[in-house]
Amino acid sequence: MPKESVAALVARLRPGYRLARAGRVVDDTGQFMDIIQGDVLRLAGRHYLVFKDAVERRFGYTDPKFWVKKCLELETGARAIVKLVFQESFPLRVGTVSTTCFRSPAKEARVLDVVRGDARFMQGFATRDTAGNLVRVIETVSGVSIENTVAALDMPHADYFRDLFPNLLARFTGACRAIAWLHSQGELHGDVGRDHLWIEHKTAAMRWIDFDYAYEAYENPFGMDLSGLGDILVFLAGQGVHTIAGMRESGLPESLLDTLAPDDFSLVHGNRLANLAKISPYIPERLNRILLHFAAASDVLYESVDELLADLTPVVQEMGGGLI
Amino acid sequence: MDPKKMLIAVDASENAQRAAEYAARIVGATPGFSLTLLTLERPPERDLYKDDAAHRAACQAREGEMRAAQGAIKAVLVAGGVPAGMISAHYVASCKSPQAEGADQCSLGQSIALEILDFAKAQGCGTVVVGRRGVSKAEEFLFGSVSSKIVHNAKNCTVWVIS
Repeated sequence: MPKESVAALVARLRPGYRLARAGRVVDDTGQFMDIIQGDVLRLAGRHYLVFKDAVERRFGYTDPKFWVKKCLELETGARAIVKLVFQESFPLRVGTVSTTCFRSPAKEARVLDVVRGDARFMQGFATRDTAGNLVRVIETVSGVSIENTVAALDMPHADYFRDLFPNLLARFTGACRAIAWLHSQGELHGDVGRDHLWIEHKTAAMRWIDFDYAYEAYENPFGMDLSGLGDILVFLAGQGVHTIAGMRESGLPESLLDTLAPDDFSLVHGNRLANLAKISPYIPERLNRILLHFAAASDVLYESVDELLADLTPVVQEMGGGLI
Repeated sequence: MDPKKMLIAVDASENAQRAAEYAARIVGATPGFSLTLLTLERPPERDLYKDDAAHRAACQAREGEMRAAQGAIKAVLVAGGVPAGMISAHYVASCKSPQAEGADQCSLGQSIALEILDFAKAQGCGTVVVGRRGVSKAEEFLFGSVSSKIVHNAKNCTVWVIS
């Protein structure tokens, strides 16, 4: 039976849809660089019209992800992200520490199974194309990352901290609980960061995305996730990252900057202030003590997300953010 | 727990070799001591490999490397004057390894440190000897440290951490 053309598929499944380009129907997704706008991916009996490659914007530069396709599912009209197989390993620098990171389709497929139906995580399914490539079909999270949410706020920190932070902290604590639960299932997120925690427009829920990073096993396999949670907490409490240069630029007096010691900065990211009470003295001591667990000065390091949660939960109650 | 029953944790690192050299210098051929070499297999993670065949090959290579390291450590002890009869060696395969099927005992791999302490307790070893990698505090936070965790969790035994 001849393959139905892209034009015929669109006419049958999305009548009236204006196709910018009619490409080819792709069953073997191995050559992902050749898959472009207007092609249709045929996966698990469904058809995904490719719009474009996804891009990641980090630290002011744009990084195209040729193996991640933004698509339209022709059967339903829903937007979807299709992640094709790209096995790579690369050195990952986390602050002062380097490790080797692996992009693992199998790991992400497994995590998608584990979190199915749990709105705290992105949803999707994995399937194999005709060549056996493990492709992941992800439901689009319509929202904004925590990073961009906070970056878009134009208000003094004291106002932010009083009016917005308590609720953000409560919801972030819920997101931490989600990661603790994932760990209890024997899985790790792998890339916990403020660009991978999104606030959904429709529900205002925080949802974790992107689970494909994997690492060699270590004595504490969940340490990277825990460190990522600490970074986000410091970021949220501070309404951004505070480096010496940034603080100087924002007009903090030199006399205050002179009081900052290396021990006040993040253990992992030595240029980011963790002891935020030094520049924002209204930060409750109980919260600042948690931040200090992620500072270079800390003698007691968290070993699990549960330990972090045990400290965070009373702070959320104290600040009146409500428990979510 | 008998302090003269010593457990030496062995992997394929130079730290383990240093630990063995130190133990040999202290113990030598002194009667009454026994040295137990414990190797807990830690296979490469399945997620890091394209398919099962590649993972199996990597597991085999890792096992070969760790068994060879255990043999080398035993040789270090003997060369250091410890009679071979005072040394016993245990290799515990990982439960995750494809090679572990049918094994009497396997390592869960959730915490090498706690498994070493459990093994020491089961064998009545009163002294645990480990090498230290010398990781930074940041690395310890991100990845953990076997020797630190042993020190923090050891009960009713002495721990030698060899730098």
